[in-house]
Amino acid sequence: MDTTITLTEEQISRDLYPQKFGKRGTIWVAILIVICLVGAYAYYRQLKEGLVVTHMRDYVSWGIYISNFVFFVAISLVGSLITAIFRLSNVRWSTPLTRIAEIIAVSAIVFAAIIIVVDMGRPERFLNLFLHGRMQSPIMWDVIVIGTYFFISLLLLYLPLMPDLRILNRDPQKNPRFLNRLYRFGGSFWKGTKEQFRVSNRAIAILCIIIIPVAFCIHTVTSWLFATTYRPGWDSTNFGAYFVSGAFLVGAGGVVVAMYVFRKSYNLEKYITDLHFEKMGRIVVLLALLYLYFNVNEYLVPAFKMKKPEEQHLTQLFAGEFAPLFWFAILVGMLIPILILVFKKGRKPLPMFIAGVMIVIGAWFKRYLIVTPTLLHPFLPMNDVPESYKHYFPSWQEWAIAMGSLAGALLIITFFARVYPIIPIQETINEQNEKAEQL
Amino acid sequence: MKRLNNYRILFLLVTFIVSSSGYTQDSIAKQPLLDVNYFSYDNNIPYVQVMARLKQGRKFEPIKGVNIKLYLDSVSSSLLITDKAVTDETGKANAGMPTSLQKEWDASPTHKFIAEASGVKEFEGERAEIEITKARLLIDTATASETRNIIATFTALENGEWIPVKDVDIKIAVKRMGGTLTIGDEATYTSDSSGTVTAEFKRDSIPGDAYGNIVLVATVEDNDKYGNLSIEKTAKWGAPFAYHSTLNERSLFASRNKTPIWLLFMAYFIIGIVWGTLIYLVFQIFKIKKLGKQAV
Repeated sequence: MDTTITLTEEQISRDLYPQKFGKRGTIWVAILIVICLVGAYAYYRQLKEGLVVTHMRDYVSWGIYISNFVFFVAISLVGSLITAIFRLSNVRWSTPLTRIAEIIAVSAIVFAAIIIVVDMGRPERFLNLFLHGRMQSPIMWDVIVIGTYFFISLLLLYLPLMPDLRILNRDPQKNPRFLNRLYRFGGSFWKGTKEQFRVSNRAIAILCIIIIPVAFCIHTVTSWLFATTYRPGWDSTNFGAYFVSGAFLVGAGGVVVAMYVFRKSYNLEKYITDLHFEKMGRIVVLLALLYLYFNVNEYLVPAFKMKKPEEQHLTQLFAGEFAPLFWFAILVGMLIPILILVFKKGRKPLPMFIAGVMIVIGAWFKRYLIVTPTLLHPFLPMNDVPESYKHYFPSWQEWAIAMGSLAGALLIITFFARVYPIIPIQETINEQNEKAEQL
Repeated sequence: MKRLNNYRILFLLVTFIVSSSGYTQDSIAKQPLLDVNYFSYDNNIPYVQVMARLKQGRKFEPIKGVNIKLYLDSVSSSLLITDKAVTDETGKANAGMPTSLQKEWDASPTHKFIAEASGVKEFEGERAEIEITKARLLIDTATASETRNIIATFTALENGEWIPVKDVDIKIAVKRMGGTLTIGDEATYTSDSSGTVTAEFKRDSIPGDAYGNIVLVATVEDNDKYGNLSIEKTAKWGAPFAYHSTLNERSLFASRNKTPIWLLFMAYFIIGIVWGTLIYLVFQIFKIKKLGKQAV
């Protein structure tokens, strides 16, 4: 929040109160719903016909779905960065961003879980993971850690929301009936007593501590799904740190994009200020440099050795079939954003938004490059297989489902912003009061 | 100008060298090579192997699909061993001695094998032959105090009798998966006047089968007069190999009910701590709710 402006409680409540969708908002929601419906139809076809409607075959058995899953898991990590790490470090300027980060985390983790079920040829067997799961398998660890992270993120979203629910409950005439019911159910018991604040703050502090190792686990374990497999491109001790650094970058990029969109859509310039973009810009450039460093380790060291099984994989990435995508991901996902954000002028809202979009798009393709090319380069040559087994490009059903899942995640964020304040009202008021007292 | 001329000369020289080397490579004619080899295992019915290769410079290219007609002693339909042998992708074709030629085979201690090639342009009309003297390789073991020896005896047929042959190189080894392993310091031993070699077995701890059996092997390779001979003998000189199945042990690669205890302990410990805390936090929400009711 801008330090020079002092706002009244009423003004803050009015500014941050959930608003009905305008014309642009309605069109945005309609587009997302249409994309989701197309995705749902594609999934219906997949259920009916089987995984044969995808272009995944014997070699590429993890295609765009798993890339999408890794992307969702990565972007969800931002909840721990903005909410937990900043809160524990007593970084006060991040208050308006905490709920944005948490809802991104929750929506991403929900669709990470959904997309895994989509990838299963027989989704009704999902329960078998729990009934017959092997604790030795990294897949089992991933299931456990995703469930845990989802629950923690949900609590971290809900607990700081309670004081705001009291504000939302204050004037029922302002809200539609179903929202009043929702607000009453979620927070009618919040009276804002000292004791309630004490218990709530303590619970939030515990959550902030516990979410950090769980967040690191979720992405490290996801990286181990690959790294525990002896395959060119995956057989790496660098993978855990490489994934975590990449996750922080895409998550921070996602928050920057959301900051810009919410600020524009709900006229939140007084709350999400240029200072927030400036500070987030510095964080993003640091994370991009960190991720670039891990990329250098991940690709340059094996390329220097050029072990025979790695050679084909790396050559395909650097100068072969995947080269345009690879260099696009490196340039758009890392190098150009670094060049934009390293300068003060680049850390203004619009350039930041552009850099954020580039990071998110680059990160999505980067996940595709981590998953698919390795599967096309097995140790033994592909002999006596149909030509379609030797290449992979997702079918329209795969694209529709993947895009539908992305639209679904955006839809959760959009509806959340419609129902609940996207910037914490009570926390903003408290900070404003503290500032006023200091003055 | 002078420098320009120098560059021009250099360019021409390089062009000449590159083009002439390419020409040289292409201009070397491919020379067909047809080889006949004789093999006898365990002194049983021998077989003959014909190998068809094309030689170009230093390269040898095995040729597939060469039809081989193989004769015993002379090119005659009555002495035809086979006319159906065809070389495979390694350029080799094998033919065993047919029972129909038993009489001719027993008639003489020395024989000639004649191979005629056809079916591939380069090998059309090619012929090769080999002459061998019938020989026999025997293998035995002897143990004296702490020493274990392998004795191989080489004899050749002469005037209806098996005569020991001196100065024949015999390899003594122990058979392992995919090859052989020398049994001591030497790989090859030379036969004495009694046609015998004695080799000390020094591989005491070598693993054998479940009973400690190992296979000893004596071979004569590419001998100009006798061809290739080989004989094996099983001896109980190895260490018995006890197969240890890990199928029912707890391991990372075992089934779900065989998870290592340490992994279970770690996993449940972490899950317990994290979920215990989360359950505690859920109770805190109920506590907040209760506090809210009390505040009313």
